[in-house]
Amino acid sequence: MTDNLKLLFLAGVVLTMPVLGISAQTAFRDSVELNPVVVTASHTPKALKDAPVVTRLITLHDIKIADATNIQDLLIQEIPGLEFGFAMSQETSLNMSGFGGNAVLFLVDGDRMAGETMDNVDYNRMSLDNVGRIEIVKGASSALYGSNAVGGVVNIISRENLEPWTANVNSRYNTFGHEWRNGASFSFNKAKWNSQTSFQHTNIDPVNLPKAHSSEEIAFELMKKAQGLPYDESVLNDDSNLSRLYGQKTYNVKERLTWRATDRLTLTGRGSYFFRTSERDTHDYHFNAYSAGLKGRYAWSRDRHLELSYAYDQYDKANFMPNGTRTHDHDYSNRQHVAHLRYHHPLGKNSLLLGADYMNDYLSTYQFIAGTSHAQDNIDGYAQFDWNITPRLNVVGSVRYDYFSASAQKALTQRLAVVYKFPWMTFRANYASGFRAPTLKEMYMHFDMGNMGYMIMGNPDLEPEKSNNFNVAVERQNRIRNSGILDGVYSFTLMGYCNIFDKRITTIDGGLYEGMESALYWNEDGVKVWGVDVSMGHYFDWGLTLKLNYSWMHEAGDVYFSQFNQPRTHSLTWRIGYGHRFARHYALDAALSGRSQGKPQSGRSDVDQGYTIWRLMLQHHLWRGIHLNTAVDNLFNYKPKSYYYCSPLTTGTSFSVGVSVDLDRLL
Amino acid sequence: MKFKSLMTMTMAAAALVFSVSSCSSDDDEPEVAVAEQAVGTYTGPEVIMVMGEESSSGTSTYEFSKASDTAVDMLIPSSGEAGMMVIPALPVKNIPLSKVGNSIVGKIDSYAGKVSNAAGDEKAYTISDLAVIFEDVPKGKAVAVTFSLKYGNMPMTMETTFTGDRN
Repeated sequence: MTDNLKLLFLAGVVLTMPVLGISAQTAFRDSVELNPVVVTASHTPKALKDAPVVTRLITLHDIKIADATNIQDLLIQEIPGLEFGFAMSQETSLNMSGFGGNAVLFLVDGDRMAGETMDNVDYNRMSLDNVGRIEIVKGASSALYGSNAVGGVVNIISRENLEPWTANVNSRYNTFGHEWRNGASFSFNKAKWNSQTSFQHTNIDPVNLPKAHSSEEIAFELMKKAQGLPYDESVLNDDSNLSRLYGQKTYNVKERLTWRATDRLTLTGRGSYFFRTSERDTHDYHFNAYSAGLKGRYAWSRDRHLELSYAYDQYDKANFMPNGTRTHDHDYSNRQHVAHLRYHHPLGKNSLLLGADYMNDYLSTYQFIAGTSHAQDNIDGYAQFDWNITPRLNVVGSVRYDYFSASAQKALTQRLAVVYKFPWMTFRANYASGFRAPTLKEMYMHFDMGNMGYMIMGNPDLEPEKSNNFNVAVERQNRIRNSGILDGVYSFTLMGYCNIFDKRITTIDGGLYEGMESALYWNEDGVKVWGVDVSMGHYFDWGLTLKLNYSWMHEAGDVYFSQFNQPRTHSLTWRIGYGHRFARHYALDAALSGRSQGKPQSGRSDVDQGYTIWRLMLQHHLWRGIHLNTAVDNLFNYKPKSYYYCSPLTTGTSFSVGVSVDLDRLL
Repeated sequence: MKFKSLMTMTMAAAALVFSVSSCSSDDDEPEVAVAEQAVGTYTGPEVIMVMGEESSSGTSTYEFSKASDTAVDMLIPSSGEAGMMVIPALPVKNIPLSKVGNSIVGKIDSYAGKVSNAAGDEKAYTISDLAVIFEDVPKGKAVAVTFSLKYGNMPMTMETTFTGDRN
């Protein structure tokens, strides 16, 4: 059967499912929420339709149907124009619509995380077992969130179960790397106390990536070439950068405890521990992360409240020999102490938000001069005024000032967002500035890369990267009634943006250093990124969901095409979902989803000129909270012609099966 | 119908007997002592690719010594320059050889070893996807080698190819 025929068959199966249904219902689709609340766009809870900036919401249902292990697995399924790749150390790098990972700020419940792997935090830390929703704001948001919010903000919001108690155990096996994921969660909500506890363990074996030709074939062609005989050049030209994916294990434990001390005062404590070991050929790399926080919230009324919080986050890396001996030649520790103060005050129909933060950032790393470490303080203050001029017109203005002690750099950022609600659509226009302060690593690095005689040198005189982001968007969401099969909710969002990015921090040729070649961190000229994002969905009352997200982007200027990411002009994600309860003890959620990436803008011809990967997910909801999940990933067996750093890491079709049991419903 | 089936089965049985006989005949042949034919030092061009880019190229000498009648040990020469990372000579033990046509072919999927560098530190290394081919050429014996090397904590794989003539 050809791929197209398979596709038609599967699409047919999914589309004819409703015919088999007994009655229309929407039991498993919280995507149909008409008015979900988001917080990321304005730091305050607002209905999604009222958010001053277009916010992409990934709901709990989206997370469940994706069956993703961590944020990385989820985002590639949901966000067009977003790709994760591997760097040479096989740590993950991110590209989101032309921006690298360090230009995208990842937050967990509004708090940033310490440590870095390649160009951002360790995405494995962000497991999804206790996540309620994820909010994504593309474009600059530094006027609220400070450094790194240059290309976008991804805010992961934890779930808060309100049932008296819940307990869940789950396990999943995936044939790719013989991956196991096991998890458990427990929550209780009694009187003034609410507790959420979760644990997740994953284990994936090393995966040998197939080569186009065997080593024996290569050796034979080499011999022919050496002897001056006719030979096949294509056998000798393997463009793969990767031949084997390292196996790894992760352990992730999280606890959050909330005490509603009085009607006005709520205290929340949280703590988490994360461990990952990446099993390399000659050594193991260990990653440890410790996180804790305490937040107090005092509310005089729904709109007048004060928040004071403290957060600590530590991320450590170390090398270990197979016999368990720590080598100490790759020791790394990043520790952050952060304090937040935020006050929200209503002024009639309007509101004022005032905030200030303090962060102490400490880094010791093998990439500094031996025995040295560096630290810096970041102090900021910000204000936001939310002005509801008329019931239809809303203007939100924000301004923020940041100071960094190590570089003595200052940053003033602003945002002005206008929302106008026509009867038939919502119009949004937004200007925002963003910045990314040079990291301690970029300022003080002094590293002989892999002992190969190639130095990478930091630069204490670096200036912050800056961006100016403009976007306009139109959005329509409506309910269709009395139209038979079309009854349901549809939504459509079209956004155009331009992001002018300057003083980009990158490395340039640093000349000779003590006889060795070197690279030096430097502020380079910027780039301009234009783009159009289209998002549309239709949630039919009888259980079918259609979702399509398209992204077009163009990057111009001093474009730096890293070998680790390849911005692509066209990209697409989609999902055809269907949810239906067929009997008292059986309901089904099915999703046929996919992502398609166009040609890389770099014009590289040695890498895949685009790819499409489909996924079929079937979630069977059985008796009393027992769920059976089955998935076929890479349905049509796409295989990259070579494994370069940003190629999709698949060796073809893989299968997964998992079971999840809600013990509170079972017992 | 029955006749056709009978004929088919008879022919299949005959084919099986002949093929088994053929295999049996081969199995009875003594193993060729191919290692003796392959041993020696070979000199020629070596190319090392790191992350898809050519990291170094030059003339190298590989040594092959007899491990058994049907296996050789290979010594990959030291590489790197002073002031840069120097990888000491790396032995790969007991590469099994077999005759394929007129060639002698050796293959190892993965080999792990340890070696001391110039500073006396012990470094682990792995050789994977190793293929070695020896052929008779007008100048005598020639070898072609390809393998992937992971050395110490170096995160990148070194994809190495070597072709050489026996000295």
